[in-house]
Amino acid sequence: MKFEKKHCVAMLLAGGQGSRLKVLTENTAKPAVPFGGKYRIIDFPLSNCVNSGINTVGILTQYQPLELNEYIGNGQPWGLNRSHGGVQVLPPYARSKKSEWYKGTANAICQNIPFIDRYRPENVLILSGDHIYKMDYSKMIRYHEQCGADCTIAVRDVPLEEASRFGIMNTNADGSIYEFEEKPAHPKSTNASMGIYVFKWEVLRKFLLEDDEDPESKNDFGKNIIPKMLDAGHRLFAYDFEGYWKDVGTISSLWEANMELLGQEPAFDLHANGRIYARNYAMPSSFISHESHIEDALIAEGCEIFGIVRHSVISTGCSIEAGALIEDSVIMPNVHIRADAVIRNSIIGEDVTVCRGAIIGGGHDDGEREISVISKGSVIKEGTVVAPGVIR
Amino acid sequence: MKAMGIIFASIYDASLGDLTNKRTMASLPFGGRYRQIDFTLSNMTNSGISRVGIISKHNYQSLMGHIGSGQSWNLELGENLDFLTPYALGHASSYRGKLDALNAQRNYLEVNEEEYVILADSAVLCSIDLSKVLAHHIASGVDVTVVTKSGIANGSKQLDLAVLADEEDMVTDMAVDYCAEEKYLASMGIYVLKRVDLIRACEEAVARSRYHFERDFLLREFTAGTMKVNVYQFQNVALFNESTEEYYRNSLAVLDAEVRHDLFRSDLTIYTRPRNETPAYIGADGKVIDSLVGDGSIVAGQVEHSVLFRGVHVAHGASVRDSILLQDVDVGAGAQLACVILDKDVRVRPGARLVGTPAHPVIVKRGEVV
Repeated sequence: MKFEKKHCVAMLLAGGQGSRLKVLTENTAKPAVPFGGKYRIIDFPLSNCVNSGINTVGILTQYQPLELNEYIGNGQPWGLNRSHGGVQVLPPYARSKKSEWYKGTANAICQNIPFIDRYRPENVLILSGDHIYKMDYSKMIRYHEQCGADCTIAVRDVPLEEASRFGIMNTNADGSIYEFEEKPAHPKSTNASMGIYVFKWEVLRKFLLEDDEDPESKNDFGKNIIPKMLDAGHRLFAYDFEGYWKDVGTISSLWEANMELLGQEPAFDLHANGRIYARNYAMPSSFISHESHIEDALIAEGCEIFGIVRHSVISTGCSIEAGALIEDSVIMPNVHIRADAVIRNSIIGEDVTVCRGAIIGGGHDDGEREISVISKGSVIKEGTVVAPGVIR
Repeated sequence: MKAMGIIFASIYDASLGDLTNKRTMASLPFGGRYRQIDFTLSNMTNSGISRVGIISKHNYQSLMGHIGSGQSWNLELGENLDFLTPYALGHASSYRGKLDALNAQRNYLEVNEEEYVILADSAVLCSIDLSKVLAHHIASGVDVTVVTKSGIANGSKQLDLAVLADEEDMVTDMAVDYCAEEKYLASMGIYVLKRVDLIRACEEAVARSRYHFERDFLLREFTAGTMKVNVYQFQNVALFNESTEEYYRNSLAVLDAEVRHDLFRSDLTIYTRPRNETPAYIGADGKVIDSLVGDGSIVAGQVEHSVLFRGVHVAHGASVRDSILLQDVDVGAGAQLACVILDKDVRVRPGARLVGTPAHPVIVKRGEVV
């Protein structure tokens, strides 16, 4: 069967284990981790695709895919339930000659060349499933085409002292990249790669196949494909992105990103332009009782709140009993917090019950903040004390 | 299940005045995020009824927009969900009564094969397992079962259908459009009967210019002794939204935990059309107590004992008390509202003051600026 040609196909890398998120990704792929009250991390790149007019998205899964697969379903919440294109979950699969797991980011795409070929796209957009941001990819693709680039990499300006934590793109005055340095000890510039690439499919396809034959290669975009393309003299360009962007790969960055949704003028404004789509569950509106006190908080639907909530994110289906106090915390979906429990500087995983009077997290005497984390489905017994920074 | 469902979408439109001016009763918003028909439709889906027809007289565009493909209720338009609109009649006039409407849809009743029909409307909100009603009907062997609620009749509220029943739930007296005294049971507008009986009733009545289901069929046949009627007494919360005052009172009744948990039960989900909204945000100076808050709302002012639908904005210094604010209402800074119902998209200017009373809440029409 011949498919209609697509201008751009997006491939979303969602297979990483996300081990730095510890208990939060014990049984869940990182892109399926709840965020911002009603979303999952993957909603952000997926919604960006839809808002950018890209309606063919392959999601590459490998680690703990069950929950993610179920969440994506037929793609209907994102308008990606289409008869041509739409969303497709692509796990590694057995073939007649060689069967293997996805070895690296480039290998994951390489194994799915037949999927991309069906749409004969001009460009392929490579995305990560662990970043929080709103971005119009169509602008980046237009820039890529105007530059006549073979590959365009989205970059953002980072402080010089942090630059050695990122992949740094050193560019000429016209924006073309002459050098890529992975986590350089002495960075020459501050253009950090955001892990968002647009490739001319024809060119990428050739490099993927060559790289697959190279036994020395780690089959990784940053480590192998980009340097090889530079060496071969291809046209690579950096695309400056100025909006909010956050890698939520660690406990502290996940907590921070949630906190950055709060405030009068939040660093990342969910309400502003570019709607983020999520799977919606049938829940009633949230009830806030007369004894509760809420300030500077996001409250998702289906909650019943009788306690005190300050500077926190309360996700769908939570109940917070009278006398409970929640401060500077992220409460993931369907959590029950019983009377007089106190939760500070914490991330409480999905389906947790915190029993009466339990105390979780807090501040250190020296003012240092360390986030406490409670894993999905736990029951924190009456009167338990979970110290600041403890992950359980 | 052996029953199909028919929903009358526009029974009390006139009595809700401005609120149903541009929409049917069925698409009237309720409970912070729902339309009234969501309750009826969800009850049918939750009870295993696999075929539903919606009969609407007029103003059905907003209703059709809300229902969409039906997938939010696990139904599929054109497959097991149908809009039975007056244009299917072949003549332009709208229905003169439920029997007339049903008669116009006789083909729909005839081609489907379910043994029973459950008739319902959208004026009474409840969470009910209709499979129990059907089982009760079948076990009793009567011709028609009426679902009723006690405690609604009060001597002054006019009931569409009021009945008295004996200890075996058999109806002993019946009255139509009657301000029945307290001992009467009020019909919740839900009826169960055999499909073939309903088809025959339509034929016989309409041929004699009789269109009113309760008066010209139920009451007439019951009084003549040609039909046995019993009741299914519903024990849980049933909210009768047949007038603006009732709508206002019932909207606030949901703030009561008992009413709320009875209407939104964990075992019977009320479905609605999803809307992609952000979680609600309550600002550092905002104060929300004893209220329902829909997603996408942003509250910087004070809200007390009120229902905010989705996407409502309450600016700094504004105060909202005892009020129902429908979706996307915008309340300007310093505005004061008490006992008001603001329809969809109403904008309240900064500093404006609107005060009603519980018996006469102030109603502002959709999209108006005050």
